[in-house]
Amino acid sequence: MVMAEGATVVRRNRPGTTAKYIQQNIRSDCSNIEKIMEPPEGQDEGVWKYEHLRQFCLELNGLAVKLQTECHPDTCTQMTATEQWIFLCAAHKTPKECPAIDYTRHTLDGAACLLNSNKYFPSRVSIKESSVAKLGSVCRRIYRIFSHAYFHHRQIFDTYENETFLCHRFTRFVMKYNLMSKDNLIVPILEEEEEEEEEGGQNPSTGESEA
Amino acid sequence: MCGGKMEGNGAPGNNKQKPILPKNRGEFIRNQRKDSEGFSEAPDLEFEYADSDKWAAELSELYSYTEGPEFQLNRKCFEEDFQTHVEGKRWVELDAVQHRAHAMRLLDGLDVTGREKRLKVARAILYMAQGTFSDCGSEAEVQHWIRYNVFLLLDVGTFTALVELLNMEIENSAACSSAVRKPAISLADSTDLRVLLNIMYLMVETIQQDDPADPPEWRASRETFKTELGSPLYNSEPVSVMLFAMVTKFCSGHAPHFPMKKVLLLLWKTILFTLGGFEQLQRLKVCKRVELGLPRLPEDSISVIRSMRAASPPASASDLIEQQQRRTRREHKALIKQENLDAFNEKDPYKADDARDDDDEGDDNDNNESALEAEPFPLERDEVMPPPIPHPPQTDRVSFPKGLPWAPKVREKDIENFLECSRITSFICLLTSHKYISIAEIQIAKEEEFQKTPLSGGEEELELCATELLYQGILPSLPQYMIALLKILLAAAPTSKAKTDSINILADVLPEEMPTTVLQSMKLGVDVNRHKEIIVKAISAILLLLLKHFKLNHIYQFEYMAQHLVFANCIPLILKFFNQNIMSYITAKNSISVLDFPYCVLHDLPELTAESLEAGDNTQFCWRNLFSCINLLRILNKLTKWKHSRTMMLVVFKSAPILKRALKVKQAMMQLYVLKLLKVQTKYLGRQWRKSNMKTMSAIYQKVRHRLNDDWAYGNDLDARPWDFQAEECSLRASIERFNSRRYDKAVGNPEFSPVDNCLQSVLGQKVELPDDFQMNYDLWLEREVFSKPICWEELLQ
Repeated sequence: MVMAEGATVVRRNRPGTTAKYIQQNIRSDCSNIEKIMEPPEGQDEGVWKYEHLRQFCLELNGLAVKLQTECHPDTCTQMTATEQWIFLCAAHKTPKECPAIDYTRHTLDGAACLLNSNKYFPSRVSIKESSVAKLGSVCRRIYRIFSHAYFHHRQIFDTYENETFLCHRFTRFVMKYNLMSKDNLIVPILEEEEEEEEEGGQNPSTGESEA
Repeated sequence: MCGGKMEGNGAPGNNKQKPILPKNRGEFIRNQRKDSEGFSEAPDLEFEYADSDKWAAELSELYSYTEGPEFQLNRKCFEEDFQTHVEGKRWVELDAVQHRAHAMRLLDGLDVTGREKRLKVARAILYMAQGTFSDCGSEAEVQHWIRYNVFLLLDVGTFTALVELLNMEIENSAACSSAVRKPAISLADSTDLRVLLNIMYLMVETIQQDDPADPPEWRASRETFKTELGSPLYNSEPVSVMLFAMVTKFCSGHAPHFPMKKVLLLLWKTILFTLGGFEQLQRLKVCKRVELGLPRLPEDSISVIRSMRAASPPASASDLIEQQQRRTRREHKALIKQENLDAFNEKDPYKADDARDDDDEGDDNDNNESALEAEPFPLERDEVMPPPIPHPPQTDRVSFPKGLPWAPKVREKDIENFLECSRITSFICLLTSHKYISIAEIQIAKEEEFQKTPLSGGEEELELCATELLYQGILPSLPQYMIALLKILLAAAPTSKAKTDSINILADVLPEEMPTTVLQSMKLGVDVNRHKEIIVKAISAILLLLLKHFKLNHIYQFEYMAQHLVFANCIPLILKFFNQNIMSYITAKNSISVLDFPYCVLHDLPELTAESLEAGDNTQFCWRNLFSCINLLRILNKLTKWKHSRTMMLVVFKSAPILKRALKVKQAMMQLYVLKLLKVQTKYLGRQWRKSNMKTMSAIYQKVRHRLNDDWAYGNDLDARPWDFQAEECSLRASIERFNSRRYDKAVGNPEFSPVDNCLQSVLGQKVELPDDFQMNYDLWLEREVFSKPICWEELLQ
């Protein structure tokens, strides 16, 4: 990367560099969410969001596999978190009322399809503005996997979370980039975060208020 | 910039904003111009033809008056939810971040399974798209908030979610079958669909309008939305195709609860947005001509038409008869004359074999079911006058007096025809100087090339513009779509009789409980008529836009659509539409302005009385009806232009008196298109007709473009040759089919022309069915054919 004098350079990584960077940070310490969330200098924000989301989908597969042992179509007949929130599976042309495990599978597959699709994301070096808009709906639908696991398969959720801090990181991610409304983040992670925040002082890197 | 042209644009930041009073539909300057041509001093209708009506009018037409109470219901759904999250504040007091968070939260709620809950959330979103009007004090504020909220909704991905839900409703077979079984369908059966379609329409309509005051992010979103909406991105097919499918499903009787008016309005605006409006079309045409190396257009037709003045209408038949009678009464001395004159006066004005038939149809034939329905349509030889006296081409037709609006044109074909008959070489130079080559001619020639050389001609480079994508999307079922649209148009036409319709287009305007008071009945009556008028408006606009866009994209796409319209009886349908009291249609006042959005949400509703209902508004004419009429005339022109067989249909259906009546409307553009249709028939209507309609003839001369060497004014070539009509349509059909197959039927190719597979791996990898007896005796075969015969491997593998 050559720095022209006095000019800012848009860093153009080779495709996959960002993914590797993220994975590296996760591997070294998956609980250090701040570090993982911090983009390197000159990082294109669209690509950053995109690669993080891809990474989340990859790791969520792990949770999905664990859930399969407990979450059956006859026990969890619908995709629900709390009683008032029962969701349609939008991974089909016509939204359907899939059982939770099917919702999980379909949504993750659908997300992978979308993120790997040439139509929406032809390049991993730069992301069209319009495609960035799609990331919000992916997040919204994927989040429900967390909430279902938390409210209905608590043990599996806790074990996986302690290993990966995935839900923490995901919550942080969507808040930082305004991809979801706070009201929809029903897994009680934020209170813990806020406690840590108050102890640790203002977080300088985000600039986003978390109140 | 494309998009709707609005009169009195009230867009935020626009200095041209005029105070918007609910009763006025615009400013109408009464032009007391004395028309030197005739005895009528009525002013021209102050009508500006455009892609659509003013912003407020288009918005209010989305809703029927019966839906009125739902505005407040939407508000309630929004506010109940809003207050639980943001207490004590109003929408307008929040900042952008809070707005966005709220929108995202609502969007999440659209994914729930519970229908009731989903509907509530949808209503809240609809209230946003309606401009969160409870916080607004004026129409301008409503317009501002609509725009802001709609762009916000777009940004968080609402449109995609709505398309998914719409799909769900379409496929909801339970709803369909219960609707089919219901004896009387009403508004209540289409609630979910109506809310969804309302939001989608508001989004498309709002974003479609180009506002130069938009921030750059909005402009970028707008472009992206336009591209995505017109491509198969949302749904594996463009949204327009999905809406077309709804139309056919409705017409097939499987989904009588579909709210057709809203579907058609959304389809219209989607096409308008993704393909472009009239000004965009004109720009495209100019570009294309440059690309093809064709000379510039002689004039800009849009500006020419705008500056034309209407001619005063031809004397109505009743005027003429009165004049005659006045004159004859003074002269009735001789008994012999009296007899003749009485005989003349008493002659049945509707009898077909009367040479003066065309002039004798008075205004009082509102109830006259035209000859269209009663008789079959023989070609009336009686009307075609005796053999023509050949006229030499009049040299004084060559020099055109100044003041004619259109530069003359002549086609290559006409030049050739002329050369066959005569040899005036100096005339040839003049003809050539006015030669006009259309884009269509070039496309036809190219197509012939492709057909002649399927292999060496090379692959055609298809530009995948929105029009091309739409054509590809509707190609498989285009005939059904055209039939469905025309079926609905027929049902919505003012002259149609309800009982003959197999489809009920009033399903989304009829209230659940029928009216009990006279006032309620009157209101419903107005609502129903208005509903039908809006449907006609949407369909006429859709058909015209598609015809124009397809024609520009490729002539055979246009011909395909046109032919199916003709086969579905579009020509008699349009003529039937005009066979009514056009003046009363144009001046109809089927609206109750106090109930129109956004007035109805900004003001307390007064008590409705019979008088206020009858008063309607104080507009000079009904914009949408005049718009529809012009569109239908333009469509008729496009279908019949240069097609001898279809032109003869105009004659056979006795369209001349119907069209003449339409000339009464004092609006230049409408008259122009009527005159064009008359011009193309005049030589078949007989000398007598031409003599009695000199005013019309001179209007044609003045207003319609001259085609050099066209003998429209005197009937030279009167060989109707009916047996050629079939041939013409058939050969056109064959050309169209060849075109469609060449371009789109990738699967069906001539097997002889497909390349030979000589890749070793692929050939060896093919599955081959071995016959049973071979399988039984393969070892013998091996022995004989393989082991005994020496094989030179080096040669084989080289």
